[in-house]
Amino acid sequence: MTLEEILAARPSPGEPRAYSFPSFERTVLPSGLQVLAVHVPGRPLVSANLIFRIGAADEPADLAGVTVLAARAMTEGTERYPGLELIEAAERLGSTLHADASWDAFAASVEVAASRLRAALELLDELMERPTFPAEEVLRLRDERLNDLLQMHAEPRRRVEQAFSQTIYTADSPYSRLAGGNESTVERLTRDELAAIHRAVLSPDRAALVVGGDLTGLDVPRIAEEALGSLALGAMRASGRPSAPVAGHAPTADPAVDRPIVRLYDRPGAVQSEVRIGHVGLSRRVSDFHAVQVMSAILGGLFNSRLQLNLREDKGYTYGVGAGFDMRRGAGPFGVRTAVQTAATVPAISEALKELHRMRDTLVTDAELAVARAYMVGVFPLRFETPGAVVGAIGGLFVNDLPDDELARYRGLVEAVTAQDVRKAAQDHIHPDRLAIVLVGDADVLGKDLEAAGFGDLEVIREELPGEVDEPGSHGDGE
Amino acid sequence: MTAPTVRFTDERLANGLRLIIAEDHLAPVVAVCIWYAVGSKNEVPGKTGFAHLFEHVMFQGSRHVAKTEHMGLVQAAGGTLNGTTWLDRTNYFETMPSHQLELALWLEADRMATLLDALNQENLDNQRDVVKNEKRSSYDNRPYGQWFHKLQEHLFPPEHPYHHPTIGSMEDLDAASLEDVASFFRTYYAPNNAVLAIVGDADPGQARAWVERYFGEIAPNPKIPPLGNMSLLPTLGGESREVIEDRVPLPRHYFGFRAPCFGDPRLDALEVAAQILAGGKGSRLYRRLVREERIAQDVAFFALGLVGGASIAAGQATVRPGVDPDVVERAFEEELERMGREPVTDDELARARALIETYELEALQRVDERADRLAMLATLLDDPDLINRQLARYLAVTPADIRAVAAEVFRPDNRVVLTYLPETGPATQGEHEEPAA
Repeated sequence: MTLEEILAARPSPGEPRAYSFPSFERTVLPSGLQVLAVHVPGRPLVSANLIFRIGAADEPADLAGVTVLAARAMTEGTERYPGLELIEAAERLGSTLHADASWDAFAASVEVAASRLRAALELLDELMERPTFPAEEVLRLRDERLNDLLQMHAEPRRRVEQAFSQTIYTADSPYSRLAGGNESTVERLTRDELAAIHRAVLSPDRAALVVGGDLTGLDVPRIAEEALGSLALGAMRASGRPSAPVAGHAPTADPAVDRPIVRLYDRPGAVQSEVRIGHVGLSRRVSDFHAVQVMSAILGGLFNSRLQLNLREDKGYTYGVGAGFDMRRGAGPFGVRTAVQTAATVPAISEALKELHRMRDTLVTDAELAVARAYMVGVFPLRFETPGAVVGAIGGLFVNDLPDDELARYRGLVEAVTAQDVRKAAQDHIHPDRLAIVLVGDADVLGKDLEAAGFGDLEVIREELPGEVDEPGSHGDGE
Repeated sequence: MTAPTVRFTDERLANGLRLIIAEDHLAPVVAVCIWYAVGSKNEVPGKTGFAHLFEHVMFQGSRHVAKTEHMGLVQAAGGTLNGTTWLDRTNYFETMPSHQLELALWLEADRMATLLDALNQENLDNQRDVVKNEKRSSYDNRPYGQWFHKLQEHLFPPEHPYHHPTIGSMEDLDAASLEDVASFFRTYYAPNNAVLAIVGDADPGQARAWVERYFGEIAPNPKIPPLGNMSLLPTLGGESREVIEDRVPLPRHYFGFRAPCFGDPRLDALEVAAQILAGGKGSRLYRRLVREERIAQDVAFFALGLVGGASIAAGQATVRPGVDPDVVERAFEEELERMGREPVTDDELARARALIETYELEALQRVDERADRLAMLATLLDDPDLINRQLARYLAVTPADIRAVAAEVFRPDNRVVLTYLPETGPATQGEHEEPAA
């Protein structure tokens, strides 16, 4: 055969190898702590994640940022390991201790050789149970956060995200702010407030330890009991009372926008506009989750999504455009996200809006549906090649209160999504009559055209960019 | 815990294509990675940004694959893919469910054999616009966005191919013609200029047969122009400094040094030094500048291995508000220079080794990373087996090795210091340089 003949014939796939998401075993320790162990053969590095089902969405508004700051401050020293000794002890195990909080979870994790799992869990316990929150270090972390907020203002892609959240949610929703808190609250946080939130978090009955990797010869529940069995005592001893009841309610996530609006944050001379278009979206527990995911993939998730094919491959307006739902315990945002060259801003928004309407108005083609479903089903085993990814996904089930077989059922449920399901998901969850269009770009160039385009009421915000700044919160309140 | 050995075969097809296959059936996943020995270092003045623009053109179709279909077919098969361009090379990769391996091989072969059939002005113009927007997103509309390009300018003389940025200039991108692109393809995208690595759940015999079938008849290019002499003096020969006013709230220093080439054991020692200097909260720079003296908001230090004359060792420190940037610079430089004078402690070295061991194991778990490294080591060093010796090389680095390389590299006369300062005066209204495209 000639090369031409060979290449003219497209190969067809072989038989797929059977795959199922690794099953995990659940043990509930006497303290109430759940241990979820997942054996992933041949993976000598074990991933362990200690998760509490409570996060930044659960904190009081006047302390916004305290949960994230408390999580980060836990690695600054414990009763047994002051200062950096905790970090160093982990490093000697070849491991880095991570502690962080998100909207819905407060978590600490390590990745470590299976033979050192026990030692690593003892450090996790120390970190979670006996952090000392040294006032000086808390002050430093707080100032670092404030400095980071300054930097954020200067970075268009971060600034637009913050402005978008602030625009679409009412002020009483935690989602209207950043999970790490804004200047007005962060600058007032004290070590005592961090310690108090930590005590409130530390209830074993809302906690899970997820361990994944090659667990041959490891009795994970027993190791967990020995290393983390006293988790409840730490909380009680610290507060003198039993820990607070389990959180788990969905936070307030009311929309602040009831008609199309446009908000433009001025950046004189910007060569691109950062653009976000959307509204309040969905909770992870939405009943048609799989249809929403297929719809999002076709709209703005696949490389050849409708938005990409239009704005990038046809028009060349952008390096990339995406769209989707950030699903949280409460209703996270739905948004189209892109950065487009300044001159193309108005046409790019028009095209994006057309695609949102088209998603609701017509059925997706058989080919579009087939590609999206095949991608989501086929890529599933690739996503879970390593224990870290498996542990992360199981942690997500725990945080969102989803059934244990959610991931095992995923591929079948995606396969079953129809074109009608996709259109219904778009009609139910995309709302063109109340889209907020938020931009960071050059108002002198864009203002008139945006006004004329009639996307919605236009508000131009000319904010002072921080130039040379003083140390925020530098009033010496070290205690 | 020891790193599992990566067993692989290494052979050449008659047309010069180098083929590396490593079998691993743990997950039903296979990675295909192809490295072409062409990067922005092969570009000539006036044609910067070509290698990268060309990488985009590689996704615009070939004789049997329509525009955007490459992406569509791979994703419909449940795979992931991308391509990247760097100073020394361009790579393309797909990770597939294992029963879809043949599709990935066919796609790579079709574009290596027949790309020019699909090349047209419309596709070129479209991807030129996309690349110009990539440049705006990644560099121009980003605070501190030009730092690496500036380091390149300072570290390498104008006639050296590492002097210019991989993304290129707007003018050169505008000037790229169809004939330029076609000639770039004919010159560099030949089987004898490529390494193909297949790693994962594949039968090696079957994989080899498919590679022979799809790639075996593609003609080599016997006249790939050799690169000019890229050798450099090991050090810069004098400090080079620049102050840049930018729309940034906090000042930041970037530091750059010429360093030993990729593959030189001294670079291993430098990477261990980088771990001790700035690898996490237990590191020296973090401890002193961020935690104790509280003069920096963040610090970083790393080595970027390159083969053409010198690698780049680079660092950064963001200055905290109200702190004199000079104080931060001095503290940063003192820590680097101290590495060249005093041996690191046994505990520092033990922690760095333990962490590097975990990072290596973590990275090598994935088939795509193994494929990438095998292709990289074959392309850049003609030594794919280094994948099995690299960890031992890191672990063998001694305090004396670290001190020696630090003394060589962290010298004031080998140093570039870029200092970003917040713009003074009112915001620059009306300095809008980008014409409506």
